Amino acid sequence: MVNALFIIAAALAAAFLLGLLKEQWRGAAYAVTLVALGFMTWISADWAWAFAMNGAAPVDIFTAGTEPPFAINLRMGRPEAVLTLIVNLTGLLSALAMKDALLALGRRAMAVLLVATMAFCGIILTRDIFNLFVFFELAAISTAGLILLSDDDRALSAGFKYLIVSQVISVFLLIGIIFAYHATGTLNIDGMADAAQALLPGGMQAFALAFFLMFMALVAELKPFPANGWALDIYESAHPAYSAIFSAAAGTASLYAVDKLLLIGGAAWLPAATGIGIVTFVGANLLALPQTKDRRLLGYSSVAQIGLILAVLGQRDVLGDLTSFIALGLLVAHSVAKAGLYWLSGLIAGRELTAWAALRGHPLMVFAFATFLCLLVGLPPFPGFYAKWELARVLAAEGRLALLAAILFGALVEAGYLFRWFGHAIKRDKPAEEISCAPFSVAAVCIAVVAGWALGLLWGEMAGFLFGRSNLLLALPLLFALAFLLLDFLPAWLKNTLAIAGLAGFFALTWTEYDPLRLIFAIIFTLGGAIVLLASFSAHGRRIGFYPAAMLMYAGMVMLIRATDTFDFFAAWELLTVGSYFLILRGKHSEPHALSYLVFSLGGAFLILMGFALAAGSGVSPRLTFDIASLSQLAQPVAPWVFLLLAIGFMTKTAAIGLHIWLPGAHAEAETDVSPMVSGILLKAGLYGLFVLLMSMGKQQLYGVELTTLMLWIGALTALLGNLMAIFQEDAKRLLAYSSIGQMGYALFGLALMNHLGWLMALMFVINHYIYKSMLFLAVGGVAKRTGTRAMYQMGGLITLMPLSFIAVLIGIIAMSGVPPLSGFGGRWIFYNAILDTDQRLPMIILFFSGPIAFLYLFRLIHTIFLGQLKDEHRKLKEAPFWVVVPQMIYVVLLLAFAVVPGIALRRVDEYMNQFFPEGGLDWSGLLITSNYGYWNPVAIMIIVGCIFMTLFGWLLFVNRRAQKVKQFNIVFAAERPYRPETTHFAWNFFAPYRKALGFLVQPFATRFWDAVTGSLHAAADFTRRFYTGNGQTYAIQLVGFVVVVFLLARGI
Amino acid sequence: MIAYLAMATGFLLILIGFYGALTNRNLLRMIVAFTIADSGVNLVIVAVGYMRGRTAPILDATVPAADAAARIIDPVPQALVLTAIVIGVGVTALMLAYAYRLYEKKRSLDIAKFMDLKW
Amino acid sequence: MDFDWMKVPYALLTLFIVFNFGLLQTALIQKIAARVGRRHGIPVWQNYIDLIKNYGQRSSITHGVMFYLGPVFRLSGGVGLLLFVPSLYGSEMFSNFSFAGDLILALYFVFFGTLGMALGAGESGHPHAAIGVSRGLAQVTAAELPFALAVFSVALQYQTLSVTEIVAAQQGGFLNWTVFTNPLAVTAAMLSFLGSMMRPPFDVVLAPQEIPIGPPTEYHSSYLALMQTNRAIFPVAKIVIYMNLFFGGATIWPEFFLKVFCIYLWSAFVGVVFPRFRVEQSIRWFLIWAVPIGVLSILIL
Repeated sequence: MVNALFIIAAALAAAFLLGLLKEQWRGAAYAVTLVALGFMTWISADWAWAFAMNGAAPVDIFTAGTEPPFAINLRMGRPEAVLTLIVNLTGLLSALAMKDALLALGRRAMAVLLVATMAFCGIILTRDIFNLFVFFELAAISTAGLILLSDDDRALSAGFKYLIVSQVISVFLLIGIIFAYHATGTLNIDGMADAAQALLPGGMQAFALAFFLMFMALVAELKPFPANGWALDIYESAHPAYSAIFSAAAGTASLYAVDKLLLIGGAAWLPAATGIGIVTFVGANLLALPQTKDRRLLGYSSVAQIGLILAVLGQRDVLGDLTSFIALGLLVAHSVAKAGLYWLSGLIAGRELTAWAALRGHPLMVFAFATFLCLLVGLPPFPGFYAKWELARVLAAEGRLALLAAILFGALVEAGYLFRWFGHAIKRDKPAEEISCAPFSVAAVCIAVVAGWALGLLWGEMAGFLFGRSNLLLALPLLFALAFLLLDFLPAWLKNTLAIAGLAGFFALTWTEYDPLRLIFAIIFTLGGAIVLLASFSAHGRRIGFYPAAMLMYAGMVMLIRATDTFDFFAAWELLTVGSYFLILRGKHSEPHALSYLVFSLGGAFLILMGFALAAGSGVSPRLTFDIASLSQLAQPVAPWVFLLLAIGFMTKTAAIGLHIWLPGAHAEAETDVSPMVSGILLKAGLYGLFVLLMSMGKQQLYGVELTTLMLWIGALTALLGNLMAIFQEDAKRLLAYSSIGQMGYALFGLALMNHLGWLMALMFVINHYIYKSMLFLAVGGVAKRTGTRAMYQMGGLITLMPLSFIAVLIGIIAMSGVPPLSGFGGRWIFYNAILDTDQRLPMIILFFSGPIAFLYLFRLIHTIFLGQLKDEHRKLKEAPFWVVVPQMIYVVLLLAFAVVPGIALRRVDEYMNQFFPEGGLDWSGLLITSNYGYWNPVAIMIIVGCIFMTLFGWLLFVNRRAQKVKQFNIVFAAERPYRPETTHFAWNFFAPYRKALGFLVQPFATRFWDAVTGSLHAAADFTRRFYTGNGQTYAIQLVGFVVVVFLLARGI
Repeated sequence: MIAYLAMATGFLLILIGFYGALTNRNLLRMIVAFTIADSGVNLVIVAVGYMRGRTAPILDATVPAADAAARIIDPVPQALVLTAIVIGVGVTALMLAYAYRLYEKKRSLDIAKFMDLKW
Repeated sequence: MDFDWMKVPYALLTLFIVFNFGLLQTALIQKIAARVGRRHGIPVWQNYIDLIKNYGQRSSITHGVMFYLGPVFRLSGGVGLLLFVPSLYGSEMFSNFSFAGDLILALYFVFFGTLGMALGAGESGHPHAAIGVSRGLAQVTAAELPFALAVFSVALQYQTLSVTEIVAAQQGGFLNWTVFTNPLAVTAAMLSFLGSMMRPPFDVVLAPQEIPIGPPTEYHSSYLALMQTNRAIFPVAKIVIYMNLFFGGATIWPEFFLKVFCIYLWSAFVGVVFPRFRVEQSIRWFLIWAVPIGVLSILIL
């Protein structure tokens, strides 16, 4: 291996060499620069490889031939190798990305770039505190030089502001260094650490002050909130490729410098690091909310991420050996993502966030964008995810819940603004200017993407090595989903066939592995998904991006039911969330709704994470992995809190009232074949979570409140309000979406009953809701496709034109309303039997009320679309596309079959539930189904109703055989002809009297509440960020003030 | 005594420098103020390294290498000062260059004029 | 499954008895109502005349398949409801098809006819039909609620959902009837009953003045005949449930006739006294007056 000193030597030598070249030989100069950077990268990579694979020992490099403290020494160890690799790689790729700027400015700029990279490496390598100062100053000078590369005029003032601040910092640092030297007699970091331990109390106090100054100086380099206005200005105005270095390389170097310094300070200074870090993380993320400029937004995000890592370093006392795994995971994710995003921003002409819509039409770039965002947010399978999990686990175990909550809150805010940005890119008008396709810049972005995925793989391996987990990225379902990224060039029908085959095949391979309950969910997730996908054959072209997202969602769901330990469960949960987000986002007007879906889902996911972390930390099974089954062993006082967190998390997914506001838009605005996926199938993931939760934890009490009773009330209210809101919708898909909220309320209610039949009822709703809601969404989607509108009052009389869709809707609404002889009745029957077994009577009443309300919206749905007056512009409509109708017909058959023989699905589950509730099961002898209270014979009902109906029908046919079909307007209309179909079709505001009577119940309280929450966050952020006045002097004062405040706080502590 | 005096002067200079840099809105005055603060820092460093009754850390005929350790003051702070001065010169030069470019751009040296980037 | 085929002729016999009883009863009630209003009223055989006339009419049109099927749904609902509940307690002959399901089946089957009818009326394209349906559905959500609560209360009281067992529990003297053992539930149910009988003050669905006869506006000739048949059967079928749940059921036909008539008379009695409510008024009325009684009946049980 090459001596690490050559990193520094190569940079300096190349910089000198550049000075010897002629000014005109720019190509040659550029080549020299690249070679030097490449060489430096290679050295780091070589070392990193040696440490990782061959277990090499760290090497100290002594300069001037003397050992410390008499000379400066550098160290190349495992962390140094990795960190210098990050720095050098960022430098190299940034050099690629800013090729044009470098060639325009010539060899001097290149030399400065080399010096900057070298300085950052120096900061990492050196073990001498004064040498650290020198490298910092070098970095500052070269930074100030490189800022000038930008073609943005404002960069000049940003550079000057930076110089002012760096002057202040260097004063602090120097004073600190000299007094620390005075106290310890050495400048060597390790020596100083040893000496500091041995100090007498008197010397200790003086040393503490000196250390404080050094510490604050280095922390200031991390751009802590709020003393970071200068850094934000640089991020915004510098050349994006330099901002990438400033964010990734400078951040990395400074963090490691602080880490080294903490070695001297010891445990006493860890709280300060945590405090500054977390304030920075939350503050910067909040202030990023109102940003509209891309690079400034990224600046805020960089500041926040570095803050988070600082907080992690501050938790070293509890994280122990895991510190480097977590911090490094967050750091590499941040570096790759942030550098990648800055390079990407270099390709885009506009600076508004909406200008990123230019990416559209470049699938590779969109993929890169999505990859970087997922990396940054810490979604699986990227390193940040593993880091987040371990961090949460340890913090919860140590009782540092406030810190954990703050981290998760900050992460949620960050995810919010990042994915809002992604929504802009996917949905906003494409700007006139295309993105630049400079090959070098594109290459830098692509390398970052590859690096991101490779890191995901690497961290998966490391997690496997450390915790014995299987690598997420290598899970078969996920690989299958990711394969569609590579296959995206294929035509949609081929991919669709593959997807269906994959889902069905996976089920065929694994179906023997599930217990009866999981089998039901597995069937819905895989075979159910395959049936819905049949509708996707109606799509033409290549449908770029659809299949990776859809299959990611399915992969997540499959992994969810197969998960046995909490980590796999949570990873699957996040996968299905992010997959469905991308899927929902594809809808034409779904930008805000997809965002609200994601924010709610991630919020819920974070609660789940907290719940799992609390559970794992409770000491029940002191292992690194925590099985879901172990939840049952939790004891007071942790258990009810875990239950509460998990329950709220899952209820976010099932859209319980208050947390429901994302659902209507997300489901209604999604594409025709996506709505049934996210409604019919995805909602069941939440119910599955609740099933798992209740199966393992049972009843829990918190301050004497029975939590399942609380869920019972929530379920009942959700059913009522969901149904009520559904009847006032004019938009057919929104109507169905609200109806889903109501149906999920029923299922939640059934689960919360905590008795045998209650669970069976919930399962019945799972099956029924999948079938009829998928069918109805497809039918309505098909109609909307033909009519070009979703407003029901604009339709009418379509029964003769779209008879198959009508039949589907007819069967669907009969089933959903619970009218015998179809399968919805079974659900109601079990419901009545279940509630007889419980003591909770009041919530029942609400459910009684919500039952008939379903009739209102169901009738409205079928009447306003298919009955009534046909509109003139619809007279030539055709039936919905063939492939949209096919699954509907399958569902009709399924629904009828399930109505006649519900036992095929329910019987085994009924037996399975005996282990949880031995009492109150059903008796399935023959065709009769008997409970403790009543009985029910679906076959007999079907036959009797059928016979009566057919007899009477025959009778009518006999007496009325001459009936002739008349024209549309031939009705008894006060002896007049109606004027137009529009005025005769009684459809708009169909239930006006109902609104008059009960409209007060459907005031959008929840929407107003969440609007107020987000609104006040935005307003507060918008107000606070004015504190960054733009005046360099103010920034310096803020820095000094920050130091003083931290000093006072530290003294106070 | 002289060490304390030097150190107090150094800190005074630093404070003066900071005060000047943070209250003067003129770019050049700010730069000058920072130079004063830098000098203060250097003075403090030297003062810290000062030992009563010893000589400069230059090994020549008057200070033989053998008993140097007992006769010279600590050479490290002096070395640091040298480095710090060099760096200070570099930074000051860079700041002046910046000030020049900024002046060219807006024909003003008022720091409050350069607030295009904010929030 | 071994099915006792004799159940079919017996069921038809029940149907025949109830059909004729229903025709006469509705006419009688109408006559009583007319007399209260100082009018002469119709003869009690008027319904037979109307029925024969409507079946005999030659002109007949259709607006489409659902329109055609609407009356079939409607009458199937009525007939089915009648046959899913035992008519006479203790009589194998008149236990009908109650083996197919319990009380819950009957309760939900009520909606079968309503829904089919509403769909048929909808296809006629007549706005009055749609307005009538909209009003009817809106009203029924509130009107059915006290009844549902009462049913739940009764089921809790007797710990069963089987109609036969509920009747059995009320045997042995009229003091065992639910109306005396659980008066609150019965009160709530009887208030709810008013809402489902299409009589004032809750007859805004048909509202003869504004939307001539509401949903069935477009129905005529044999369609109307089918619906008239249902109009004779359905109220009786519904009252049979009330009778079985709250008034001890019936063991012989005369008792059946008397109880059904008295219960029916209750709605006529209220109907002739009160003017019509608008939809939102009746919703509020049920929620404010009837529902709390039902809630109370459940809570104090």
